[in-house]
Amino acid sequence: MKIVIAGAGNVGIHLAKLLAGENQDITLIDESPEKLARLDSSFDLLTIQESPVSLHGLKEAGAGSADLFVAVTTDESRNIISAQLAHYLGAKKTVARINNYEYLQPKNMEYFNSIGLDSLIYPELLAAKDIVDGMKLSWIRQWWEFAGGALVMMGIKLRDNAQILNKPLAQLGKELPYHIVAILREGETIIPSGNDTMQAGDLVYFMTMKKHIPHIRKIAGKEELPDVRDVIIMGGSRIAVRTAQLMPDYMKLKIIESDMERCERLTELCDDKVMIINGDGRDPSLLMSEGIEHTEAFVALTDNSETNILACLAAKRFGVTKTIAEVENIDYINMAEKLDIGTVINKKKIAASHIYQMMLDADVTNVKCLTFANADVAEFNVIEGARITRSQVKDISFPRGVTIGGLIRNKEAIIVTGTTQIQPGDHVVVFCLEGMIKTIEKYFN
Amino acid sequence: MIHVKIIHRILGVLLLIESGILLLCALLPVFYGEDDMFGFIMASLISACCGMTFMMIGKSARKREGSMTRRDGYIVVAISWVLFSIFGSLPFYVSGYIPSFTDAFFETMSGFTTTGATIIQDVEVIPHGLLFWRSLTQWIGGLGIVFFTVAVLPIFGVGEVQLFAAEAIGPTRNKLHPRISISGRWIMTVYLLITVLCAVSLRLCGMGVFDSVNHALTTAATGGFSTKNASIAYFNSHSIEYVITFFMFLSGINYGLLFFLAFRGQVRKLLEDTQFKWYVVFLLMFTAIVGISLFISTPYDAAASLRNALFHVTAIITTTGFTSTDYTLWPPFIWMILGLCFYFGACAGSTTGGMKIIRIAVLFKSMRNEFNRILHPNAVLPVRINGKVISTSTRQSVLTFSIFFFALVFIGWFFYLAIGIDIAEAYGISLSCLSNIGLTIGTHGCNIPWSDMPAIGKWFSTFLMLVGRLEVFSVLLIITPAFWKHN
Repeated sequence: MKIVIAGAGNVGIHLAKLLAGENQDITLIDESPEKLARLDSSFDLLTIQESPVSLHGLKEAGAGSADLFVAVTTDESRNIISAQLAHYLGAKKTVARINNYEYLQPKNMEYFNSIGLDSLIYPELLAAKDIVDGMKLSWIRQWWEFAGGALVMMGIKLRDNAQILNKPLAQLGKELPYHIVAILREGETIIPSGNDTMQAGDLVYFMTMKKHIPHIRKIAGKEELPDVRDVIIMGGSRIAVRTAQLMPDYMKLKIIESDMERCERLTELCDDKVMIINGDGRDPSLLMSEGIEHTEAFVALTDNSETNILACLAAKRFGVTKTIAEVENIDYINMAEKLDIGTVINKKKIAASHIYQMMLDADVTNVKCLTFANADVAEFNVIEGARITRSQVKDISFPRGVTIGGLIRNKEAIIVTGTTQIQPGDHVVVFCLEGMIKTIEKYFN
Repeated sequence: MIHVKIIHRILGVLLLIESGILLLCALLPVFYGEDDMFGFIMASLISACCGMTFMMIGKSARKREGSMTRRDGYIVVAISWVLFSIFGSLPFYVSGYIPSFTDAFFETMSGFTTTGATIIQDVEVIPHGLLFWRSLTQWIGGLGIVFFTVAVLPIFGVGEVQLFAAEAIGPTRNKLHPRISISGRWIMTVYLLITVLCAVSLRLCGMGVFDSVNHALTTAATGGFSTKNASIAYFNSHSIEYVITFFMFLSGINYGLLFFLAFRGQVRKLLEDTQFKWYVVFLLMFTAIVGISLFISTPYDAAASLRNALFHVTAIITTTGFTSTDYTLWPPFIWMILGLCFYFGACAGSTTGGMKIIRIAVLFKSMRNEFNRILHPNAVLPVRINGKVISTSTRQSVLTFSIFFFALVFIGWFFYLAIGIDIAEAYGISLSCLSNIGLTIGTHGCNIPWSDMPAIGKWFSTFLMLVGRLEVFSVLLIITPAFWKHN
């Protein structure tokens, strides 16, 4: 598959690395020789030093024969023009990164399709959705919905008070209302089998249905944690603005921003629900006077990953139960996890995983990249005669590191156990270690 | 730099227009067979002559068209209101129905500024022609004299932007159309529509044709001149009171929004408007307070309490100043509440006077922010109107406006006290002139006892009316020395 990526920014580079590991033909086009130099020498991809909006440059990069063209420069209008040009040259599918909420509205999609844009992505909005989901269910670190919300997957940090610690999974009981699909322990991802146990400090990924959420909360020992009502966001970035807009009405938000001009701009972007505070979010006395001790959630969204991590640590000391840090430096993500920062948001990973799903050739409709666990979640529609349908799940010789979380059959969600028989037409949610999706596709086709 | 010639030319045109309108009014005496025709003909001739003279002086300005400045705009607006009142008072004066020029000028200024305070002891003996002219002054002044003439006859082709800006300096700008003269015509259409609907409704409620037209003119303009001594109480009809209440309410809404409602069917635009919401809330809140107080403290039954409260609160908040009963006979507590309503005015962009709801809203929100600022010293606290942040300079000008307004109320109060008027009444007159209402409070009745007032009091009142009608700054600006300096 031939993929052309325009723009060697954070998202572009991350995506290029991700796809290069998948043995795809990647061409990266950018004007800046410095950005390209590092990539060319260390990854299996082609770089072209040309403007992403020059026809000549796009031709040279082979945009005309590309199966997928991804425009992810920092400038929205350049992305749109670049994708349009690629479409004109003959690219089969184009994706452009945008910064404007209006463009995403379904009624405008037809227009964008007509000018040669097949898909638009808005990383800040995706990140804001993750943050708001995280605050709505504050005791959950990560949260995904599958098949329109019929199945949910939750990442929960287990503490000493959880009821399910230190027991092999096989002994937890039959017909459980949940399926444990992954355990993250000290930076290592485990796709558990029946003999594995959960320990205090593990980040455990449960697959379940919405009606069982209270049960999970109970067994995970999270019942006494308060719901999030007061939120402080440090750093008035675009993600902060989108978060403010997506937040439910019962939450009260304060945004702390150090730049006065940005503060004034924020007052125009946000409504009366949000209080804008001019100051340094790392200043304990400011946090005290703004009531950090009565705040349930602290979100650090400045441009600086280190600042975000430190501010979250400080907020934890004030007793904030839910902290969320934007960490754009991928090397810091594991460290942030070790330091017990609650949820980590990474715009690049979110955007890249969103694009990644577009190049999967199977009937995959959703792949989400987990920020902590080096794992992918994929959804498959099971085809008539696929290998997976031949016997019960426990008798199929899956490679290690793959587990089936749940499935949707006739619009009803089912939690998959060893004795489940998968049938053609089922919509299956699979959990696997990073990069394994290609190898498990053959079980479903 | 002040362009004397352009100013003369525009004023000349305006006077010719007034002359034309006066000439049309001269037809009414013919129709009714009354003796006021001479007054109209004379007034028309005199203003035509003056207009011509002004035109002659400003003749050579044609070559330099387009060079009109903001200063010229302010001068034209302020002077045109005074000139219109001077020439508009001639029919009363020449025909002898108001023998004193001071009184005639007062009556006309009270008309053009839509104040509605009348000097005439017995309105019912005045001929139909003069009564109609009296009502028409309010209708012309309702949206502003310059606005009216520019919107009806776009003959200047120059300086419209400056003139409109000088006449309506409210804190909001909502142009309906990129071309200001077309916006003006659209707003005039709404105005005309309200007036016609009001006249038809009043006629259907049993009012005579002449009275319907006059009351429609003064209701749409939120002026308050009546053709009867007892104002609306004369008709003694609940339906007429409700109809007038409704049209006063309508005229208090921003005309831009009314335009979108009537001609584009955009109901949401109106309902989501901050100013409209505050306007309705104020009306309902004060109606409830006054209504309940009336029900408790007077012999009125519930329906009468509600009707009286609604009518008077609407008449005062929209600065119309109609009365259906003498509210000063109610307990002082109630008329003091009405006295509080004297300040508000209705929405900016309507025909009402007063401070305007939008300024009150900005003021309230700024006050709330001050309290918040004490609790959160680092917070950046914006004032939002319709979801949009109001700029600091707009906020400041609203605050300055309010201070000036309050200061003028007090200056007026002291002035009236000094010329020997009762303390409550002096306050009422001062505020009422500035807000263009035309009623007062106090123990001597709700109508202002002008006949007892010395001439200087009347002239001062006309000054207050003009200052209030042109929203303080336009008039005060041209009496500051800095305005006349060349740089």
